[in-house]
Amino acid sequence: MKILIIEDELGLQRSIAQYLTCEGNLCSMASNYAEALDRLNSYDYDCILLDLTLPDGEGLQLLNYLKRMNRPEGVIIISARNSLDQKIEGLSLGADDYLIKPFHLSELNARILAVVRRKSANGDRHIEFNEIRIDLDAKEVLVSGNSVYMTKKEFDLLLYFVANKGKVISKSAAVEHIWGDDADMADSFDFIYTHIKNIRKKLTDAGSRDYFHSVYGIGYKFTEV
Amino acid sequence: MKLFTRYNRILIIISLFGLLLIGFLFYRMLVYYLDQQIDHDLVEEVMEVKEYSAKGNFYQPHEFEDLVVQYKKIEKANPSSSYGDTLFYNPLKHRKETARYLKTELELVGQPYCVLVIASKFERQEQIRNICLIILIPVMLLFALVLLVNRILLKKIWTPFEQLLKNITAFNINHERPYEPVEMPVAEFRQLNKVLVELSGKVKSDYNEIKLFTENASHEMMTPLAVINSKLDNMLQSNVLGKEDGETLVELYKATSRLTKLNQSLLLLVKIDNNLLQDEEQINLKSLIEEKQVYFQELISERNITVESTLADVSISASRSLLEILINNLFSNVIRHNYDGGKIEISLETDKIVFANTGHNKALDPEKIFDRFYKDNASEGTGLGLAILKQICNRQRYQLDYSYHQDLHTFTITFNHQ
Repeated sequence: MKILIIEDELGLQRSIAQYLTCEGNLCSMASNYAEALDRLNSYDYDCILLDLTLPDGEGLQLLNYLKRMNRPEGVIIISARNSLDQKIEGLSLGADDYLIKPFHLSELNARILAVVRRKSANGDRHIEFNEIRIDLDAKEVLVSGNSVYMTKKEFDLLLYFVANKGKVISKSAAVEHIWGDDADMADSFDFIYTHIKNIRKKLTDAGSRDYFHSVYGIGYKFTEV
Repeated sequence: MKLFTRYNRILIIISLFGLLLIGFLFYRMLVYYLDQQIDHDLVEEVMEVKEYSAKGNFYQPHEFEDLVVQYKKIEKANPSSSYGDTLFYNPLKHRKETARYLKTELELVGQPYCVLVIASKFERQEQIRNICLIILIPVMLLFALVLLVNRILLKKIWTPFEQLLKNITAFNINHERPYEPVEMPVAEFRQLNKVLVELSGKVKSDYNEIKLFTENASHEMMTPLAVINSKLDNMLQSNVLGKEDGETLVELYKATSRLTKLNQSLLLLVKIDNNLLQDEEQINLKSLIEEKQVYFQELISERNITVESTLADVSISASRSLLEILINNLFSNVIRHNYDGGKIEISLETDKIVFANTGHNKALDPEKIFDRFYKDNASEGTGLGLAILKQICNRQRYQLDYSYHQDLHTFTITFNHQ
């Protein structure tokens, strides 16, 4: 996938690029409005990450531009501003998603995947990982063709891990993915363990191999072997 | 004491005292003046006695004159006279009356006599009484009239002031409505009003500035936090981390998460303050609470907390985002401050929600727990959860109460509280 990161904070820009590049994605970077416009004029992308406050212009203008040009790219706004108004304005101007800073890169990655998949023309709305097949429309998990029942939280969590396959996901990132940041749960992440245990059991019971690996006691990794 | 009452009390006391004093002096003056007159009459009577004596007679006044002349023989006449008050028996009216006498020693018909002329004061006293009444009644009436006029006038003058007081009380820094100035006919009040208008404007703009500052500062902190968070996420991917590094990362994640939460809470407070969450709609509280209970299920069961809930089917019209935060905060609070194996009691009635929980602490100070950043040292929370709760209740005009009984910390939210 080709991803354009429009973000003026260089530290964040590099981190995002580093995380996404490992996935086999191609990342371009733009630190200001002019640069972003220049890139957009020259190349096509699969997904654009857009910071709303740029040193030389408003990110929303870029969104307008993309809409005017009828560009097919998925756009995810990344902003520290989380006022409802701005969120609605951004989404009504054609952004596909809105992520409030600070966020976990695994969350960003999952969102990118979701947006790109939603945008993809062939309508193939499922993700496969070896014998596991996740149907996004039916919200169903199949192991070698057999349906495995999962609760909504378990389904979300599995999808999250599969989207970030090969990456270590911290417990706090997993908790925030499932419970959002409404819930003030900063002091207890351990209950995520129960969920992972349940998912593992359900998958292995259905004949799947165990792809979950605990890492340093800090998080989990969904990966082959 | 009201200014009005105080003013009236002082006025009445002083006026009464003054009236009494003046009345007394007036009475004394009258009495003195009348005594003088009587004494003058007595002197005339004595002259008459002398005249009669020159003709060789003893003078006796007419019966209807209320006058008595007594003669007493003495050894030797000292030419002196003395006046005084006395009581005498009026043979005509058959009663004792106060009287004035003049005692003098004279040579009458060649003999020394002590002559005592007594004149009744009864008639005169009647006169004094009448004069006093004639003066006193109009004065009292005038006094009553002055009081009445005072009352009406003061009330009228103070009415705008009372309106002003009402407006100051109604003035709320959190609300859109500015302080409403009052039309003031009195110069001092007009000035007070003017000062208040300026002051409220200043307070409001200062407050807005602080809010704006909080908002901007919190926003500005979000980007560095995002950098830290993303660097941690990348660091976590490294294959060379040891167990100790893992623990360090956990701590760093926790700290970052708390800082983020703190910022978000501050922003949320500003947002509620600015009335940005106004998506009023009909909300079924019962299903909202049930939904949130499922949402928090992991936290509840992980700590073996039992939940007893009695929920009536209640719907209210309110902002959905605010109510969600409200219920979220109530749940977070009763779970966070509980102990393992503790208990949560939730009850929903038509006019109130009650969340009660067991906890390590004894009763908390209900004056302080809703303050920003008030928390016990053991708590890992931001110290803003209850402040947000309070703010939402203020915004939605609910009443929020805390009480502690039977080992339960109880939070009660009463809707439609007038």
